[in-house]
Amino acid sequence: MTSIGTGYDLTNSVFSPDGRNFQVEYAVKAVENGGTSIGIRCKDGVVLAVEKIITSKLLKVGANKRIATIDRHVGAVSSGLVPDGRHFVSRARDEAASWRSTYKTPITTKDLASRMGGYLQAYTLYSSVRPFGITAIVAGWDSELELPVDGQVGSGPSIGSGGKVEGKTYGGPGLYMIEPSGMYWGYYGAATGKGRQTAKAELEKLDLAALKLSLQDGVKEAARIIYVAHADNKDKEFELEMTWISNIDGPTKGRHQEVPKDILEEAENLAKKYLEGEDDEETKDDDKPAEGDKMEE
Amino acid sequence: MNHLPQAWGRPRDDIYGAYDSSYLQSHGPNQHTQQPIVTGTSVVALKFKDGVIIAADNLASYGSLARFTDVKRLRTFADTSVVGFGGDVSDMQYLDRLLNSLDTEEAYSSSGHTLNAQNLHTYLSKVFYKRRSDFNPLWNQILVAGLDGESKPFLASADLLGTTFSSPSLATGFGAHLAQPLLRKVAPDEEAAAKLSKEQALEAVKESMKVLFYRDARSLDNYSIAVITKDGIDLKENEKLEKQSWAFADQIRGYGTQIN
Amino acid sequence: MAAMFSQNPLMNGPNYSFSQAPTTAGDGFKQHSFYPYTDNGGSTLAISGNDFSIIAGDTRSTSGYSINTRYAPKVFKIGGTTSSQDDATLVLSVVGFAADGEALKERLDTIVKMYRYQHGKPMSVKACAQRLSTILYGKRFFPYYVTAILGGLDEEGKGAVYSYDPVGSYEREQCRAAGAAASLIMPFLDNQVNFKNQYMPGSGEGHALQEREKIPLPKNEVEDLVKDAFDSAVERHIEVGDGLQILIITKDGIEEKYLPLKRD
Repeated sequence: MTSIGTGYDLTNSVFSPDGRNFQVEYAVKAVENGGTSIGIRCKDGVVLAVEKIITSKLLKVGANKRIATIDRHVGAVSSGLVPDGRHFVSRARDEAASWRSTYKTPITTKDLASRMGGYLQAYTLYSSVRPFGITAIVAGWDSELELPVDGQVGSGPSIGSGGKVEGKTYGGPGLYMIEPSGMYWGYYGAATGKGRQTAKAELEKLDLAALKLSLQDGVKEAARIIYVAHADNKDKEFELEMTWISNIDGPTKGRHQEVPKDILEEAENLAKKYLEGEDDEETKDDDKPAEGDKMEE
Repeated sequence: MNHLPQAWGRPRDDIYGAYDSSYLQSHGPNQHTQQPIVTGTSVVALKFKDGVIIAADNLASYGSLARFTDVKRLRTFADTSVVGFGGDVSDMQYLDRLLNSLDTEEAYSSSGHTLNAQNLHTYLSKVFYKRRSDFNPLWNQILVAGLDGESKPFLASADLLGTTFSSPSLATGFGAHLAQPLLRKVAPDEEAAAKLSKEQALEAVKESMKVLFYRDARSLDNYSIAVITKDGIDLKENEKLEKQSWAFADQIRGYGTQIN
Repeated sequence: MAAMFSQNPLMNGPNYSFSQAPTTAGDGFKQHSFYPYTDNGGSTLAISGNDFSIIAGDTRSTSGYSINTRYAPKVFKIGGTTSSQDDATLVLSVVGFAADGEALKERLDTIVKMYRYQHGKPMSVKACAQRLSTILYGKRFFPYYVTAILGGLDEEGKGAVYSYDPVGSYEREQCRAAGAAASLIMPFLDNQVNFKNQYMPGSGEGHALQEREKIPLPKNEVEDLVKDAFDSAVERHIEVGDGLQILIITKDGIEEKYLPLKRD
């Protein structure tokens, strides 16, 4: 830790001589200790999944949700400080609602990511605040239909000026990851938290850029990846929480919802079965170096 | 001529007179809605064995002008309820957005619990009553159709004053005079409504829409109709009145130009 | 065309709306044409007995000459702890503007519930009656447009009926009719409950007869009076009819009855 003792890490918004904001980097450390969160962008929907580490046996199973609905068609999950995640969600809901009241149309996933990126960035600028101790993944499905504005009563001219444009397509899946610095990118597959390295490696194998993966398979992959990523952290128990957003013709009709119990259980069973298969292989050749956080730096 | 950019596209005072900006003044009493502007006419609805049928035509009038002819006055909520709006269209749009945000807020908690038609009606009537008590009414009469907490058919009315009531059949505006008697004939009470088949109810509602089109000058033969049951909402927004017969019009005497 | 080239001397050339300071509105303020009240018709009636109170109301709701519905209750149990109000001890009837009636009922119900939770006992009719008056007067300058009647049993177990005007003036009475057919039912009640204008035959010279002795009526007789009163009101008043809701309060609780009335 080159920052310690220099004094440049004690205040937010102050640069170190080599141009770093150490408070932001410390926030990233908080994220790196959090339970793994991932998002997968599929051809007909988006999946969010989180590894919820069980901190006490006294906590009710299935309660204390970590994935939140931002607007009807958008969900978000974060790794890091849970209360910071809650505030992120609260602000995101306000942004989505205010967008609706201004533009009379749902916010796109991209615009929401932009607004939230701007919001998080502002928390790197002032000494009176600290950056968010989370990295958030925002997933949404922007309607593929030509949406009426909220409250629209008619359908407008069918041809000509102001009419329908032949062959124009709208919407689709959106997946964004926003970091404590306020930086955000769009992803085919996103991962953050403790198991992100493993998860990223798994996500890369899926060839998500081809946009061939179906939502149904995406759910299974998401469950598997969380289980695989957890394998490095075996001493702690966890719950898998998953939500999805399908297209209009899909199971959620464009809305952000929890993955139904039966589908979730099926995906978990497949994930467990996969891990068992992995263990057999590992006993054959366990010369793989353990993937540590240091590799990233 | 004044060539300043500020003048571009502005009406000239020497031709049109000075612009009356009095409405921009912020002093004086607060101005609130005092009359509806663009309006929808009747909404009719009838309960039957497994649910409710609700219908409204697709016209929005500007006074006596048939201003918009593709206006959807049946609004769905949470895939379980339908609200039919009569009265001011802009207030309808405001309420539709309000219901949209309510639905979004309901989705924040993942309990899977949704507001049923009865909850929705209570909510809307409180909005109406609050606004009338502020002397700033939302100029509508609405029917809320769906299912109640026990999954039984639910139908109720609310209006700009906050007045509410429920009945096996309901109709707003002109429909209260012309359609309601026809609907009451097939469903005089809850027991009778609970025996009606969907087909019988559909026929009665469509017949009511036809009678309304014959005699309500602010109506249209294009209409929306929704059937709400526990299986969901079947909403059709571009129906045409069938089997119209204007033979009776021949017999009308005494209003307008005629020879005999 | 002439207008296009005519110069307004006062304005020294063509003028445009943007440059004008707001012109003043005409003299006097615009009047709101919105009227926040309506009359939903119907009638209510309450009679107190020795150990019971009866409150009744028809179930018709009207707008002008139209019937909104044939079943809209005007009589409500107040202050129970469940949604079914089985453990309520008080009854409120409201007639006039139904939306205000509903709002008033909800407010009183909440207050009486809170009293019950805070004090661990039901509110007395006397206390509730005073509280209702305060609520009504609180909106003295934008009143609840309703005639309310509150019924229950007093601290001695005797039937109690309190009647109100829309702004909270109230008194305890033997009996009271309110609403559209109040003027039809009240004189009937004066005669049949309080025996007004009833004299004992042959008890004096000429018209100087002795009044009929006043006795508290038994429950079944009062029930019959209520039915007769409404059957008669239905005959003569168009806003009354469809159904009759009767709530009978005794020490054993509140019994509810529904009887059909003429629907014409």
